[in-house]
Formats: sequence, C-alpha cells, structure tokens
Amino acid sequence: MEPIIQIVNYSWKYPDSENPALNGVNLQIMPGEFVGIIGPNGAGKTTLALSMNGLIPGQYHGIKQGEVFVLGKEVEEYPKGELQMHVGMVFSDPEAQFTAMTVEDELVFGLENLGLSRNDIKERLEWVVQLTDLQRLLNKPPYEISGGQKQRVALAAVLAMKPQVMVLDEPTSMLDPLSRKRIFQVLRQLRETQQHTIIMIEHSLENLTPLTDRMILLSEGNVVLHADTRSFFQDPTLVERGVYPSEVIQYFHQIKKRGWYEDEIPITLDEAIEVQEKLLASLKVFNDRKGL
Amino acid sequence: MNKTLLGYVPKESPIYEVHPFVKLFFLLVVSLFPLFVAAPEWNFGLLVFLLLLMFLCRIDMRTLRIYVPVAISMGSIILLSYTVLGGRHAEFQVVANVFGFPIYWERLRDALVVYFRILPMIATMVFFLSTSRERDVIVAMRSIKMPFVVTYVFAMALRSAGMVLEDFHIVRQAEQARGFDTTGKSLAYKIRKYVMYMIPLFALSLRRAEEFTNALVARGYSFTGKAAKIKRADYVLTHYSYKIHDYILILLITAAFGVLLYLSLGLGFFELDKSQFIQWLHQILS
Repeated sequence: MEPIIQIVNYSWKYPDSENPALNGVNLQIMPGEFVGIIGPNGAGKTTLALSMNGLIPGQYHGIKQGEVFVLGKEVEEYPKGELQMHVGMVFSDPEAQFTAMTVEDELVFGLENLGLSRNDIKERLEWVVQLTDLQRLLNKPPYEISGGQKQRVALAAVLAMKPQVMVLDEPTSMLDPLSRKRIFQVLRQLRETQQHTIIMIEHSLENLTPLTDRMILLSEGNVVLHADTRSFFQDPTLVERGVYPSEVIQYFHQIKKRGWYEDEIPITLDEAIEVQEKLLASLKVFNDRKGL
Repeated sequence: MNKTLLGYVPKESPIYEVHPFVKLFFLLVVSLFPLFVAAPEWNFGLLVFLLLLMFLCRIDMRTLRIYVPVAISMGSIILLSYTVLGGRHAEFQVVANVFGFPIYWERLRDALVVYFRILPMIATMVFFLSTSRERDVIVAMRSIKMPFVVTYVFAMALRSAGMVLEDFHIVRQAEQARGFDTTGKSLAYKIRKYVMYMIPLFALSLRRAEEFTNALVARGYSFTGKAAKIKRADYVLTHYSYKIHDYILILLITAAFGVLLYLSLGLGFFELDKSQFIQWLHQILS
C-alpha cells in the first residue's frame, strides 16, 4: 500500500529564527491510520501540521529543504485550493478558523468551495450535524457559542468536506475536560465509522492513546521516538524525554521498575484494570498456597 | 429574540416575513426619498412614518434614545456651519445678529432643509440595521447575484468590526490588570495615551488577519486560480424564498419612488416655495 503522506528529509526554517523548526524529518503515514504527534512546545509540531496541509510553504516565509508528498504528489505541485480538499485542518484556536456569520454557513463554506450541489451540501450538512450534535446551534453566530461548541463546529466544518486526511493541531488545548471528552467522542465515532487518515497533535495523552495506531514524539524539530502506540508506551525513558503518559501507564512503569510486574504495560484504563485484576488474583492464589 | 446588527427584535416580529432583499431594497430606495424633497415637513412626515414602521416591527423603541444626542449634536453642527460660520452675504436677508455675526434667513432655511433631509436617511439606516442580521445582508446581496467576493468581504467587514471591539476590551482589561487605567483622567491624557491601546490592537489585528487567511486557505478557498472559478451553490439562499407579499412590497416601494420623482421633478411639489412650514417660519422670523 502506498503511503498517503510521505515526508522525506524535510527541514523548515522560519526567517527570523536561528534553528530550523523541523530538521531532517522522515515520516510515512498510511491510509486509514490514526497517528498521534506529541512533544513539548516549540518542538515543531504545528510546523509539521501546516506542512502537510500546504499552508507551509504557501502562506509562510521560510527556507524549505526536502519534500512532503500527499497522495503521491509534492505539496508545492498542487494548484491553489486543491490540496486542502484532500487534507483538512483543525487549528487549536477555534475562534481563529471561522469564516462565516452562522454555524450553518461555517459548515457549508468548505462544501461550496468544493463545488457541490445544494442537494449534496444538504446531505453532508445533515450527516455532520448529527455526528457532531450541532442541530441547536445552526443559526447562531459561531463566535457567540462556548469554546467546546466552537471547536466542534470547526471540526465539523472540516469533516463535512470529507478530506482523506485530517490534521488536528491541539484541537482541545483551549477546552474544559467535558468539552474535550466530546471532541474525542466524535473522533472515536469517526475512527469507527469512517475511512479518514487522522493526524492529531495533542497533549491530552489519556484521551489520545486509546485512539491512535502510532505515536510520534518530536523534540527540537527532530523525530526522537516513533513507534506503534503499544510499543511507544513500553519505553521506560518516556518521562525523561518529557512525555507524561496517563497515570495508569506511569503506575505500571513504576511497578515494573520495582520488579513487581514483568509483562507488557497496559496503555488504557480498561486494560490496566484487567491486568490489575489478574495480578490481584495471582496474589490471592499465592497467598492461599502459602496459607496467608 | 433574534440578534440583529443594532440590537434584538422579537421572533414574532412581522419583519421576519419579509425577504432580506426587500429590506435592502427599502433601504436603498427610501433613503433616496429625502434627496428629492426640499420641504422639511414632508421629510419630517417620512421620519414619523419610519418610526411607526419600527414600532410595527416591534423594535424596542427605547433603544432609539441613544440616537437623540447624535441628532442634537448633528443638528447643532449643521446650524453652526450654515449660520455663524456660513460667511457674509450682502444679498441675504438678516434676521438676527449673534455676537456680531449676522444670521441670514436663507442660511437658516438651508440648514433646516439639510437637517430634515439627513434625519430620515439615518432613520432608514437604523430601521434596516435594527431589523437585519449579518446573514440577511449577505442573502440580500447574493439574491441579486452580486459576486461572492464582494458579499464575502462585506460580511467579513461586519464581523471584523465586532472582533476589533472585542480585542479592544481584551487589551484594555490586560492593561488595567497591570495598572494602566485612563478612567477618571483628562481627555488630553486619554488621547495622549491612546497609543497604548492602539499598538497591541494593531498587532492583534495583524495576527487575526493571518489566522483568517490560513482558515480560508485551509477550507480550500482561493481568490485566484482554478479553485476561484468553481460555481458556488449559495446554499444559504435555500432558506429564503420570495413570497407574494415580497413582490407587492417591491412594487409599492418602486411605485412610491416613481410617484415621488413625478411630484418632485415633474410638478415641483416638494420645493421650498411651496413649503407651508418654511413660509410660516419666515413670517415669524421676519
């Protein structure tokens, strides 16, 4: 299978910075994958996201080296407006991505850019509104709704365009825990029902981990760790590298370090409960045998 | 309540039965009426008609009070410019002297004419903005096949006005939180220190512009190239349709304008020498 995104020896340097934001990055993302990108602030995550959507180098000045291929074509070879039909992008600040006066107009804007007919637009609108639960907000101005609702609108606006790839740049960073959960619920539904390739930059690892197939850790413009999600979180040096996985994962790393546990680290809460139950059961058997 | 550009109008208002284009047509045509009418009493009549229309459309009439100081200060400026600052004219009739400045009847009359022309024009605009949402303006413009770029830029201008105001509040609060506050200071001080607000506001606007451009590009919009040539479905128009009463209203507005033109240009019906009010005022001042 051909990768949907292929990044080859890619570096990007902004004009007013000393060091490159990205430095010799090599990546392959396959169709249908859900990839999580993490890393500290200034690691180059947003630059990477903008590069996959063509906003870099299209909208920014800087020095580019290497190549970014989307659907087998270098991003700079795409005519204006075409790449964005294949790669949708949700930004971290929901307010910054609104282009229309009502939620409905916001959702429809991208569909009109695709040149869809009114019937097709209606169909997609109904689908995305149901998926993201926005029925009650359609007539409201997008800048008058809550932060969580704004981000759902932004996500829905991109989803409605049905891009093959969706890049989400910290879409929940400005949201409260409940709104964050709702965004992840939508993404979970999407993962179950759709065939999108999703690349998500996110700090909320406890929400991100159960969804991803692969994780990438960026630091100072370099890919420092890159593995499937399960293997990624087995690495005992994660905390030293500045990655703070969910407390469940940290707990199992701690007990493994103390020699109380030897198997694979569970990466979700459900897995952890299951493993813990087994540990307790074996402890009970052990105690029974010893008559304790 | 529905939020409009200038306030709130109840959902039960009959104005929502009217197609947005009819409202725009009303604004464009009726605001021309005073240009063809010199007699102040007729323009005053139009003003009363517009106020009645606002009342019927269930606009909160109390909100109109904010325009009273505007109307008074505008009237004062016009009066001063035409009379005290209107220059000396030997051929005009002097009706009074104020601190050595002659007040001419002709200049006073012209000031009244101009003032009563402007008032209904402003009232028409207030009526339109009080009964229309941003979306109505866009729908009205698109329904007469105005280019998308024009309607879009107009919509964004409307939106950015609100955003700049919002950013201004943020900047002011941030500066107040760090001890910079012009409340209670003299006007001269406020003007001098205004730059403290303007610089961050300008920087914020630049950032907003960049974010907005990114958002447009990310949604596949382009002002040039192949993507710009795609025929847009104008989905928003599917929610609006012309009804019989819309056509009747368009016809009535057009007919009213036609009659006005005939009476004004054909018969000179609204000229000053036929104005009862002007004659009455002239008699009093003479």
